[in-house]
Amino acid sequence: MALSDFSILDSRRADDLGEYRRQLNAWLDEHADDLAPTQAAPTLDEHMAQMQRVKKRLFDAGWMRFGWPERVGGWGGSAMLRTELGAVLSERELVDPGKFSLIEVLAPTLIDFARPELAADVVPRLLSGEEMWCQGFSEPNTGSDLASLSCRAVPDGDAETATTWRVNGQKVWTSLAQYSERCVLLTRTGPADSRHRGITAFFVDMDTPGVTVRPLEMINGVREFAEVFFDDVPVPTERMLGPRNGGWSVAMSILPYERSSCFWQRIAYLYKRLERLVEAAPKDDRSAEVVGDVALQLHALRARSRATQHRLASGATLGAETSIEKVLLATAEQALYDAARRLLPGVVEFDDDPVAESWRTEYLYSRAATIYGGTIEVQRGIIARRLLDLGTEP
Amino acid sequence: MIDAAERGLFEESVRTAFARAAGERGAPVDGALAELGWLELLAAEPADAVAIVFRALGSAHATASALDDVVASALGRGTSAEVAVLLPESGASDPPGRTVGDRLRATGLATARVDTAREVLVPVGTEGGTNLVLVPAADARVAPVRGIDPEAGLRAVTIDLDPGAARAPDVVDWEEGVALARRAISHQVAGACRAMLELARRHALERVQFGRPIAQFQAVRTRLADALVACEALDAALAAAADESGPATAALAKAVAGRTARTVGAECQQVLAGIGFTTEHAFHRYLKRTMLLDGLFGAADDIVLSWGRRLLDGGQVPRLIEL
Ligand SMILES: Cc1cc2nc3c(=O)[nH]c(=O)nc-3n(C[C@H](O)[C@H](O)[C@H](O)COP(=O)(O)OP(=O)(O)OC[C@H]3O[C@@H](n4cnc5c(N)ncnc54)[C@H](O)[C@@H]3O)c2cc1C
Repeated sequence: MALSDFSILDSRRADDLGEYRRQLNAWLDEHADDLAPTQAAPTLDEHMAQMQRVKKRLFDAGWMRFGWPERVGGWGGSAMLRTELGAVLSERELVDPGKFSLIEVLAPTLIDFARPELAADVVPRLLSGEEMWCQGFSEPNTGSDLASLSCRAVPDGDAETATTWRVNGQKVWTSLAQYSERCVLLTRTGPADSRHRGITAFFVDMDTPGVTVRPLEMINGVREFAEVFFDDVPVPTERMLGPRNGGWSVAMSILPYERSSCFWQRIAYLYKRLERLVEAAPKDDRSAEVVGDVALQLHALRARSRATQHRLASGATLGAETSIEKVLLATAEQALYDAARRLLPGVVEFDDDPVAESWRTEYLYSRAATIYGGTIEVQRGIIARRLLDLGTEP
Repeated sequence: MIDAAERGLFEESVRTAFARAAGERGAPVDGALAELGWLELLAAEPADAVAIVFRALGSAHATASALDDVVASALGRGTSAEVAVLLPESGASDPPGRTVGDRLRATGLATARVDTAREVLVPVGTEGGTNLVLVPAADARVAPVRGIDPEAGLRAVTIDLDPGAARAPDVVDWEEGVALARRAISHQVAGACRAMLELARRHALERVQFGRPIAQFQAVRTRLADALVACEALDAALAAAADESGPATAALAKAVAGRTARTVGAECQQVLAGIGFTTEHAFHRYLKRTMLLDGLFGAADDIVLSWGRRLLDGGQVPRLIEL
């Protein structure tokens, strides 16, 4: 379909979000059978195939194009349109928000920092489900202290004129690396102790000789992240994102996207999961107290997240204050799955039906909410220093 | 909504007036509010009026009878210093009055306005809805509430009379009164919480132990960070209650207020330690005020329980706000 086929041209504007939502829901209702997952308890392979299939349908029908710039195959309009799309898909349990919203973490990086021809070539592939990408930041010795990373990139010849760089080192906990065609990779290009001043970002093809992916089984039994080894991997200079030694800004630029649209999508999903819990929990006062408490936390979080997105849409730059919603989200997510474990006794620990299987996997996965994207301790540190002006730690 | 400049100006004058009044501890600020045009703003822009005035009441630890005005105006009645409003008993949010046989009986709380008012406006719950009945103030038995926070100036009121003595009833939407009262009280809690956090934050920077300010200890930083997260959650819930006004968002804001006060009170008290444990320090006043406010128009725990019951009954979780 083309943009002109839409009766909602105006929903390219944020104030028509309600109309966009209405028409999107109508379209999803109409195509419900086609889009529905084919398995009750999909394996990760099946899940990934399902997500890419849904993305393809949505891209072909145009929904995946709203909110993205025209120079990368989008139809323009407010970024809130794509936030809304992710939220609606999550609520309908058509995609898993953690995996789907990787688009929000990775595509804007390409749009903002890649050569325009590169962005125009690859972003549509990500949106249309043709490709998956991953984020190679963390390393065995580099978690919270990202500026200490050591995976090295060295120019073939002079740094100013080299057409190729060679990468050596290792990344770890790289989500969905084994499904990915490309990786947004942070490398050390300055002296070993150059910290954030000596980091460069590259967009690396995962099928380049020298790249080895070893999937790791997570605590919930799913092999969702991986170790990635780089052994003298050649990367063309034209795949550099941002300037040489400018990789820190590339990494930091992700924050506003992650803390706005990704969060809203995750919140939508958590509401849906709370609804599932409400259906299954015994109808007594203990349940009422527990689900009431989770609903309260989700409500405050949703209110906060909404305000943040409106600030972003009106041109504000997001910064340290988004650590507040990061803490609220991590806390609410874990509270929800703690509630499930309490109100559905034995389900997480003993039962083997598909419904129990998903509560178990998600319960275990929810423990990562205080770890990834900056641990909760790191967030509190930012809040103390930047928002409360308590000075630096010794 | 008033624009940002008008809002800033009004906020500033409210703050100054309350700061002046705070010199005389416990002295009510009703006079100052009247001069500032509180009633006019409440009639024209209730959301802004309630947000600005009650937040300032909270942060200045001031007392006023403004809650009477909030309830009366939300119920569509004129406001007057001559008419006190009977508020629900502690913990309750139902109308305080009921008819038993041919008697009108009511038990509730009132602000200090009841001491000088000519009449008391009594919300009376009936099968057909809530009626408002005007009772001569002389027919109300009034006793001061000491409790944890005598400075709040609340009164316990009981009424038991032949409705013949009361003026003709009016049917009103009680939920509207409850919703705006809950928002007002939650703003007051928000103001008090910010005040507690600022006391603790300043203390952390100034207090030196083991040769450095205690603000450098990560355990202290974490407590204050969590207190700020709680304050921000409350502000967000209050903004949502203004944007999507109605009984549900107001109830949830009141519940968030109770939870926030509990977190902020506990974290700040621990950081203030011995110094904050004396009544010479301002902390205790704010802590006690927030404890008292949790019991007005429904406590957080009760709101959470009834919201939870509603979710279980309906099998759904209302989203309440959209992007
Ligand atoms: C499910 C999952 C998916 C992930 N996906 C990706 C991905 O796709 N790409 C990627 O690059 N990374 C990914 N990560 C890695 C993630 O970003 C790191 O785990 C995270 O940054 C924390 O680093 P770490 O695990 O090394 O913990 P560490 O930094 O070693 O921290 C260990 C503990 O010490 C605390 N600590 C550390 N520093 C401080 C401090 N200054 N003050 C107080 N406490 C501190 C931490 O809070 C934590 O409790 C993923 C992780 C998980 C769990």
